Amino acid sequence: MKKALLTTLALLAGTALAADPAFPKAPAGKVTLEVWSWVPGLDKTVTAFEKAYPTIDVKVTNLGGGPQTYTKLLTTLKAGTGAPDVAQIEYGFLPAFVDTGGLADLSTLGAGNYKKYFVPWTWGQVSPDGKAVFAIPQDTGPFAMVYRDDLMKKYGLSAPKTWAEYEKAAATVYTKSGGKVKMGNFYATFAPWFMALAWADGAQFFKRDGDRWVQTLNNPGAKKVLNYWYGMIKKGHVGTLNAFTSDYWNAAGAGQVVSNMEAAWGPGGYAGSLKDKGAGQWRAANLPQWTAGTAVKSGNWGGSSNVVTAQSKNKDAAMLFSLWLNLSQNAISNNWINGGLFPASDAGLDLAVLKDKTKNPSKFFGGQDISTVYARASRGVNVNFQWAPWFPYANDNFNKQMDLMLKGRLTPDQALDAWQRETLAEAKKQGYDVR
Amino acid sequence: MKPPRAVPWLFLSPFLVLFAAFYVAPVLYAGYLSLFIKKRVGFGPARDVFGGLTNYARAFQDSEFLTSLWNILKFGLVQIPLMMVLATALALMLDASRGRLQALFRTAFYLPYTIPSVIAGLLWGYLYSKNLSPLNQLTGRSFDFLGSDVVLWSIANIVTWTWTGYNMITLYAALQNIPGDLYEAARIDGADGWNLTRFIKLPLLRPSLLLVLIFSIIGTMQIFSEPFVIRPLGYVPDNITPNTYLYLVASRDGNFGYAATLAMVLAAFTLLLSAVFLRFTRRGGEL
Repeated sequence: MKKALLTTLALLAGTALAADPAFPKAPAGKVTLEVWSWVPGLDKTVTAFEKAYPTIDVKVTNLGGGPQTYTKLLTTLKAGTGAPDVAQIEYGFLPAFVDTGGLADLSTLGAGNYKKYFVPWTWGQVSPDGKAVFAIPQDTGPFAMVYRDDLMKKYGLSAPKTWAEYEKAAATVYTKSGGKVKMGNFYATFAPWFMALAWADGAQFFKRDGDRWVQTLNNPGAKKVLNYWYGMIKKGHVGTLNAFTSDYWNAAGAGQVVSNMEAAWGPGGYAGSLKDKGAGQWRAANLPQWTAGTAVKSGNWGGSSNVVTAQSKNKDAAMLFSLWLNLSQNAISNNWINGGLFPASDAGLDLAVLKDKTKNPSKFFGGQDISTVYARASRGVNVNFQWAPWFPYANDNFNKQMDLMLKGRLTPDQALDAWQRETLAEAKKQGYDVR
Repeated sequence: MKPPRAVPWLFLSPFLVLFAAFYVAPVLYAGYLSLFIKKRVGFGPARDVFGGLTNYARAFQDSEFLTSLWNILKFGLVQIPLMMVLATALALMLDASRGRLQALFRTAFYLPYTIPSVIAGLLWGYLYSKNLSPLNQLTGRSFDFLGSDVVLWSIANIVTWTWTGYNMITLYAALQNIPGDLYEAARIDGADGWNLTRFIKLPLLRPSLLLVLIFSIIGTMQIFSEPFVIRPLGYVPDNITPNTYLYLVASRDGNFGYAATLAMVLAAFTLLLSAVFLRFTRRGGEL
């Protein structure tokens, strides 16, 4: 009893001592903010915010995330009315919204002062030219490898550190299991998954060039990565189950998938979707590297940011909320516990709550402190990676090319060339000066 | 005493106001939007500038869009006749049967229609999933119902499953309205079951069948939710139906002008199909 009390006191003290950055002052007078976000349990976080800033009321609307939210947001921005003050947008889709002219440039409100509190690469995502700031980073999806420890042992393997080792391990698993079990899985309908793998190897897909754009979807890095995976797919050493489908979860739960490359928000999904199947057997390890013995390099899949719309009548309060939501320890803890959001705040990466071994996803991962693995990955993400406003099109077109590749109608190189060609044509039709 | 001229208009006005606000105005706005194209100068948001018929010219050269029209045409040519034959057969069977079973079957056949298409999509999505599908487990095969070559027909199956019962009810109601003395007279002339069906029921069903057909053509052109619900489960082409394609042009690519153009072209195409069809069926003469 006494010990518990002491621990609680120590925890409280820890929380109190860990300093949040100084947030901007709340504007005078009563303010109501409308927030669109798909973060589960955000209402609880908001209650804490309202306690800290009694003059600001926050109304949260959850539109379900992804396409639904984007369609509605795009429509309100286009209509010039009905947009919320704050909205949640994934990094890859941010430029498309910047392009509507409907987002406020937060640099004019002093957002630049908060750059130092975020993991460096995340700021590059919300401030592509280093001047204008179009969003406050919220969560991230740096890449690491998750794997079944028991299966690795069964096949006499240890977690591969390089892609060469991974390829060998895939062949071993295939042979020893008679083709029933796959070492890994290629998500053929998630361009950002593939791009994160190439991102880790320094590949760039879009780049601003003064007033123009350069698009290189078929860059050498992308070709290297795709050819590597296609080789394993063709031999049957890795599968091509679609992410987030019952087919995938069923195979993973049945022990037919030994490993997979997943973003930092992925482990929460494994714990939630697999429940007791394989519980305690999963582990996280660094993303395999192309060169052995170097510092860990990683890419990012997903993650999101908070934008303030140009329509907002309370931009100061909206920015204050966005900063607080992503920099205050209280909010970061809540976002992690309730929503599995892996923080974009640099201090947030080391927060004690991320390392709680008694709770999922760490518990599901055999009590391993997986957040250390992911924090290392986050700090190894290439800072210069950029997205283009027409990415949503590229995102869908990727699926078409992968479908043709998996059917054997295109080679990996041809698939990437077609992706480049068709997306470039579309970008030009949308009026971009791009080559 | 004759009522003043304004009275009918007064009674009509609620309809006219709603019709103007929710039908005429959006169509006019879409027509207006379709004349604008996106223009950019350097960075920053695109401006909508007047482009005349540029969008229309693009639509008729857009192979993705033309493929989507071809898809839906193929779809309609197979799915609509299949569904109509099924619905007619079920309606005739119900009409011929008697008793409690009739009510049971009527409800059972109609049931799929009461399930929202999004739920139906999810339900079938599960039945179609390659490794879990009970259909695959029963047959011991591993057929990919969601493969991009067959997914159009998997959707046709969902649509048929949903709408057959609904159409059956329309036809069944028409059958119930056939006066009994017609049957009586036919029987006196020595007509048996098949002759009754062939020479009385089917001809008298013709107007209802036409109605069902026109609604099916229009409904087919609008197919959207089924492919959309299935999209997350695998690769479903952007342009599997014209509606999914134009939705993506608007909501994903933010090109409202071009999407409006596609909508106008699609509406014209639907109108054309229905008109040609009515013409074609009327030429057969009255019965």
